Amino acid sequence: MVTEEEIEHVSKLMKIEVDDHKEYVDKVHAMIDYFDILDSAGVEYEEISMQEISISNLRKDEYIPFNEKLIEKLNNYKGTYVRAPKMS
Amino acid sequence: MNLKISALDYVQEVHTGNISAEDFVASTIERIHKIDGTLHAFLSVNDDAVDQAREIDKKIKSGKKVGSCYGMPISIKDNICIKGSKTTCASKMLENFVAPYDATVISKLKNEDAVFVGKTNLDEFAMGITTEFSAFGPSKNPWNTDYVPGGSSGGSAVSVSALECVASLGSDTGGSVRNPASFCSAVGYKPTYGLISRYGLISYANSIEQIGPLTRTVKDNAFMLNVISGLDPNDNTTIDNKNEDYLSGIDSGIEGKKIGIIKEMMVEGINPSIISATKDAISKLERLGAICDEVSLDMVKYSVAAYYTITATEAGSNLARYDNLRYGYDFPVEGYEFNSYISKARRNFGPEVTRRMIIGGFVPSTGHAGKYFLKALKIKSKLTKEINEAFKKYDLLIAPTVPVLPFKIGEKIDDPVSLFLVDVNTVTANLTGKPAISIPFAISNGLPIGMQLLANSMNDKLLLQAAYALEDTVTLPEISI
Repeated sequence: MVTEEEIEHVSKLMKIEVDDHKEYVDKVHAMIDYFDILDSAGVEYEEISMQEISISNLRKDEYIPFNEKLIEKLNNYKGTYVRAPKMS
Repeated sequence: MNLKISALDYVQEVHTGNISAEDFVASTIERIHKIDGTLHAFLSVNDDAVDQAREIDKKIKSGKKVGSCYGMPISIKDNICIKGSKTTCASKMLENFVAPYDATVISKLKNEDAVFVGKTNLDEFAMGITTEFSAFGPSKNPWNTDYVPGGSSGGSAVSVSALECVASLGSDTGGSVRNPASFCSAVGYKPTYGLISRYGLISYANSIEQIGPLTRTVKDNAFMLNVISGLDPNDNTTIDNKNEDYLSGIDSGIEGKKIGIIKEMMVEGINPSIISATKDAISKLERLGAICDEVSLDMVKYSVAAYYTITATEAGSNLARYDNLRYGYDFPVEGYEFNSYISKARRNFGPEVTRRMIIGGFVPSTGHAGKYFLKALKIKSKLTKEINEAFKKYDLLIAPTVPVLPFKIGEKIDDPVSLFLVDVNTVTANLTGKPAISIPFAISNGLPIGMQLLANSMNDKLLLQAAYALEDTVTLPEISI
């Protein structure tokens, strides 16, 4: 059983702020409670399979230049300066 | 202009000069403007589509080489990047994000002279199965606008079904192509994991999601797969399919094929008309020469819980990038310290995304990972073993795509657990990486029913052949909108 405090703690860790706190907690609670069905699957001794990819199938480790002006992709810039949010 | 024609018929008609790409695309755009106020399939419409189609007509007339799409009007789910176009993921967080590059699937379609008519609606960041979680309002089911069209690729399915395009691309993480295809009477395809590049698809749950086509016919789906599948150096999870031609031999039939009926997907709570449709599908497959009997995949019972645990965990990680520093929207920053600024910015996430972020932080966390996340991974592993065993005996598996009929808008939105259970027949293909297809099979009380077939990994060609054979046994009423 998950507690309300645990859900609140995780919300803070995930940097989530919500208006209607109780509604979120209740619904998240219901969803996590549903996951308790995992306990009855009997998979304690099951091994987790991993997908292997051979090194030869990976792309080459080479530099590919970006030929466009990156700064023009930004919303707010002047010359070579970029406007970013102020930090207090 | 007959907008009901299939993609292959469109290509033939433009190729032979019976119609022009410009006229067809113009009529398509006109239809979008006429009916999309009601259906809300699109989040944005490409104003240059007709001009682009005209350029393709010029290429045809001048005898230049023309790509295999011949200006075909295609819609794209709004979580796939088209360079220079807004890509919002139906989220306020990305409301003004313009993609700086093309997804690989988009590059491939551009190379084949496709025309993108617009970007389609979805549940925010593809998290949902109704499109009700779109920050810009739900899409409506064209068969009955009081009902949901399914999701998360709901806008794509609506656009295909309501003749607002010839084909569409969606993404399928737990059924997000097949579910709306079923609800809107379209063909929806989830390929073998790795068959289609995910480069340029905004990530939700990387380990199981795939881009997939939605079309009006199985042949059209095979055509789209021919264009967009294959190895991509930008996505190391892609598989070399040796340029397989999925259209050739599509009419090979299914004589002698063994088909397993998945017992756990015909469970309590399933709509009686869907049970009846499934029995009908099995009879038809048997008449075509297939041998059908029941198969058990015990882990299906736990698959939805495992699916949500895994996807929420991956989503929690993927959504961490939305801190309003790299992506986001303008709001005054004065008065906030760093963490509270990010928290405040994330209020722009909708309710479902917020819930999944919280769950995504919870299930892999210290003290809980063993109970939830690791167990979910073990279930995924065991389910994969079970389905691999089944494919030693069977060529294909069958189950209804969704165990319920489309439901009314708002009917289930406040009950996330009841929404979970709508996914029970689709998540298995994602968790195991297998290809699966939903084809329109029946109409009950004016609402569509889709039938799902699954095949073993890289047996996509066989799957399309079987789907084509089944599709050929079905005649459905035309949509009236």
